[in-house]
Amino acid sequence: MKNILRILCIFALILLLSGCWDRVEINDLAIVTATAIDIKDDNQIELSLQVFIPKSLGSGGGQTGIAGGGGSVTLVRSQIGSNISDALSKLQSKIPRKVFWGQCKVFIFGEKLAKQGIQEHMDFLLRHPQPRERAYLYVSKGNPKDALEVLPPLERYSGEVIRELSDLHIGMQVTMQDVQEGLVGVAEAGALPFIKILPPGKGEKKLQGIPYIVGTAVFKKDKMVGTMSEKATRGILWLRNEMEAYTVTVKPEGVKGEISLNPVSARVKLIPQIRNDKWKMLVNIDTEGAVIQNGTNLSLTSPKSLQTVEKAYQEDIQKRIELAIQQSQHKVKADIVKFGKEFYRKYPKEWKKVEDRWPEVFSEMEVEVNVEAHIRRQGYINKPGGLPEKEVKE
Amino acid sequence: MIRNINKLLRKPKQKNNDIQAEQEQQDVTPVDFLSNHFDHNVEALRLVYDRCSDVVFRPFLLFGKKRATIIYIEGITNVEGMEEFVLSPLIKETASETQPLNELFENKLPISKVKRMHTITECIESISSGNPILLYEGESAGFSLGLAKWEKRGIEEPVAEVGIRGPREGFNESLEVSTSQLRRIIKSPALKIQSMKIGSYTQTTVAIAYIDGLVDPTLIEEITNRLKRIEIDGILESEYIEEMIEDNPYSPFPQILSTERPDTACSSLLEGRAVILVEGTPFSLIAPISFFSLLQSHEDYYQRFMVGTLIRWLRYSFLSISLLLPSFYVAILTFHHEAIPTALLLSVSASREAVPFPAVVEALLMEIMFEALREAGVRLPKQIGSAVSIVGALVIGQAAVQAGLVSAPMVIVVAITGISSFMIPRYVAGIAIRMLRFPIMLLAGTLGLLGIMMGIIAIVIHLCGLRSFGVPYLQPLAPLKGRELKDVLWRSPLWKMDTRPHLTGEFNRYRQSPDQAPSSKKGGDTQ
Repeated sequence: MKNILRILCIFALILLLSGCWDRVEINDLAIVTATAIDIKDDNQIELSLQVFIPKSLGSGGGQTGIAGGGGSVTLVRSQIGSNISDALSKLQSKIPRKVFWGQCKVFIFGEKLAKQGIQEHMDFLLRHPQPRERAYLYVSKGNPKDALEVLPPLERYSGEVIRELSDLHIGMQVTMQDVQEGLVGVAEAGALPFIKILPPGKGEKKLQGIPYIVGTAVFKKDKMVGTMSEKATRGILWLRNEMEAYTVTVKPEGVKGEISLNPVSARVKLIPQIRNDKWKMLVNIDTEGAVIQNGTNLSLTSPKSLQTVEKAYQEDIQKRIELAIQQSQHKVKADIVKFGKEFYRKYPKEWKKVEDRWPEVFSEMEVEVNVEAHIRRQGYINKPGGLPEKEVKE
Repeated sequence: MIRNINKLLRKPKQKNNDIQAEQEQQDVTPVDFLSNHFDHNVEALRLVYDRCSDVVFRPFLLFGKKRATIIYIEGITNVEGMEEFVLSPLIKETASETQPLNELFENKLPISKVKRMHTITECIESISSGNPILLYEGESAGFSLGLAKWEKRGIEEPVAEVGIRGPREGFNESLEVSTSQLRRIIKSPALKIQSMKIGSYTQTTVAIAYIDGLVDPTLIEEITNRLKRIEIDGILESEYIEEMIEDNPYSPFPQILSTERPDTACSSLLEGRAVILVEGTPFSLIAPISFFSLLQSHEDYYQRFMVGTLIRWLRYSFLSISLLLPSFYVAILTFHHEAIPTALLLSVSASREAVPFPAVVEALLMEIMFEALREAGVRLPKQIGSAVSIVGALVIGQAAVQAGLVSAPMVIVVAITGISSFMIPRYVAGIAIRMLRFPIMLLAGTLGLLGIMMGIIAIVIHLCGLRSFGVPYLQPLAPLKGRELKDVLWRSPLWKMDTRPHLTGEFNRYRQSPDQAPSSKKGGDTQ
C-alpha cells in the first residue's frame, strides 16, 4: 500500500510538472486552410494565410448552418518579411490565435518567387513539424494571394476548391514529399500544377471566381523555368500514369463527327536503351478505353469500324504524349517525366558519366512512343443513339 | 506525509484486532448439555429468549401425563402444521404405561424431519431457523420438528440479467429454492452442495456447489478455506463474501462473477467452476472466472453461433469505445488537431467556439453528469425515475448546448460512451470500465495520446497480473491458448466445443464426443 501511494504521488508529479506543455485548446487555434507565398520587389517575402473563422459556421445548437456562398468562412492575412519564418512571426502578432499548419493542405507559390527558387521556403515547410508532407503545392499566375481571397460559390473556401480539383486528377497532383524527392533525386527537376483564377460568371459577385488548374509549372532544380499547356500536361500525366477522369475526343478517319472516349486503364512502360552510345527511350503504352459519346454514324459492333476508332484513339494519345515529350525536351529542357531515374536504374555506370550534363542528354535523346489502344466498353448501347437504322454504317 | 497516512491506517487496524479478540472470547460458549430437569431446560431457553416477543413458549401435557413445552418463533414456523400434526396428536393420545415414550413419539408424529438436540446451542439454532423445539419432562434431549416455513418470494424473472431467449427463472432469496433450481437442471448426483454458516449474528448459510469429477478438488479446498477465514458479524449479500475472498482486493475488476440465473450458474458448473450460493440474496457467485467471462452473456449460447459471434465482437468494440472514446476526443482536441479530417476539425471547432471550458473539463463535467443521472435513475422509485431522465436529457442534451456551455459533439461523445458502457452484459464490469474512464481522460488531457497509451498499458499490465482463484485473468489470451479462443474471439458452434476450458476443466477434458456437426450425409437411424 505504501509503495502504491508513493508511485501514485510520483506519477501525479510527472503529470503536473511536465504534462500539458504543448496543450492548445482548439478555441485558441487559427486553423490555416491555405497558404500563399510570393516575393515582393525588394526581395521580401509576402506570406498570406487563409485562416478559418469558426464563428462563421454558427456555433451551439442554433440552426444557423453554413453561411451562404457570399459570406466568408475564412479570412486572409498577409505580412511581408525577409523569409517565411520572419513573416510568420510578424503575422502572428496580427492574429489573436496560434497559427496552426496541421490542416493546411494547399501551399501556393507565386510565379515570380518560383522563378527565383523555392528551396529556401521548402526548407521551412519540411522542417516545421506541423505542415503535412502530403500537402499539395501549386504555382499561381500572378499574385497567389488573390487565389486565397476569392470566395468560391460551391466550396466553403478557395483552398478546398484547389485541393478537390487536385484530387480529381485534372492536372498534376504534387505533394510536398514529391517535390522534395524530385529536387533531391537524380533528375533534379520537378513539376507543379499551375493555377489561375477563373473570373466570376454572370450574376455572381465580384469575388466569386475560383482558382483552377491550367497547366504545369516546370522546375529545374528549385527554379521554375517555364510552363506547359494543359494539353501537354495531359501527355505528362499519361507518362506518369496518373490519368484519371478525363476524356479524349477523337475524329475517326473517313466519317463525319467525333467520338469521345474515357481511358479506363493504362499500363505505361518506360524502357531505356543505350545503343552505340546513343540514348533512347522506348515508351510503351497499353490503354483501354470506354466510349462515352458517339457523334459519328459508326456502329461499334462491327470490328471494322471499331478498328477505325481504335486507330484514331491511338493516334490521339500518341500525339499528346509526343507533344508532352517534345515540350519537356525542347521547350523547358527539364526531365519532369523522370526518364533519368529509369536510366539510372538500368545503366548506373553510364548514368554516372552523363550525370552532370543530364539536361542536355535528355533534350537530345530519341524517344519512341508506341501506343496500343483498345476499346473495351461501349456503354449501354451499341449503335449510335437516336440514329435511324439505315443510316448506321457498319 | 506518506508515513503519517500509514500511521493513521495502522491504528484502526490494531483496534480491529482487539475487537476480534474480544469477540472470540465471547464466542467461546461452554458446552451446555440439556439436563434431565425439564424446568431447568425451559428456564435456560427462556433466559436466552429474554425480551424476544416473537418467541412463543407453549406448555401442554404430553399424552395427558408429562409436562411439555414447545418453543417456536412466530412467522417462520408453520403454526397450522404444528397444531394439526404435533399438538393435537400429542395432547389427545394417551400412552400405555409400557411403551417407551421415545418410540411412541416417533410413531405418532406425522412429520418427516425430527431430530434430537442435545445442547442448548443446537436448540437455539433450530428455533432460529424456524424449527420448533419440543421439550418434555424426563428427557434430556429436545426434539427439533421440521416445520420451518416462512413467506418467500416466488421464482421470478431475473431482473438484472434479462434476455429474449432462455429460461425466465432466477435465483431467489431462499437458499433451498436456489439449490433446488440447480438440482433441477443438473440431476446427476455428482452435483455436490456443501454448506456452512458464516456471520456471528446472521448465521447465514453459504453453500458451495460443484460437480464432482469436473472440478479441481484443490479449488474447492481453497474456496472452503477462504470462506472459513471470514469472521464477520453478518452476511447480507453475496458481495460481502466476494470482497472477503477475492485474490486482489484493490483491483477495479471483479474477480468473481455474480449471477442470478440458474442456467448461467449451471453452465459454469459444467465448465468445472464452483458456484457459491448465499442465503438471503438471489445473486450467486461463480469462481474462478476470466476477464472474458464478464463479456459473455447467457444469450450468446441461446442463439445461432454467427449471431453470437457478431454480438460478441460488437461488445468488444463498444467496450473499448466506452473506455477510450471521450479520452480520444479530448486528446485530439487538445493535442493532435492534425489527426482528424479537416472538415471534421472545422465543424468541431465551430461548435466549440462558444464553450468556455477546456475540452478535458468539458468532458469530465459531462461524464460526471451522466454518471449522476444514471445513479439517480437507479436509486429512485420508478415514477420519479422517468422525470429524472427527462430533465437530464433536456438539460444536458438541449439546454446546455444551446446555452453554449458544452458543445454538441461532446454531448454525442458522452451519449455514445454511455450507451456503449451498458453493452457490457455484466453490470459490475461495466462499472469498472466506467470508473477507469476518468483517469484515462485526465491522462488524455495532460499527455494526449501518449497519456492514453500509458493508461492502456497500465490497465493491461494490471489485468495480466490479476488472478481469480489462481487462474490468470486474461486466459486464454494471455497466456495464449489457441484452442481456447473458441469461446472468446468467436462463439464456436456448440457441436465444435468439444473440450472444457483449459484451466478449469482439465480434470475432465471432453464435454462431448467429437464430430457431431449435423449433416445430411450422416443420415438418420436407418443408416
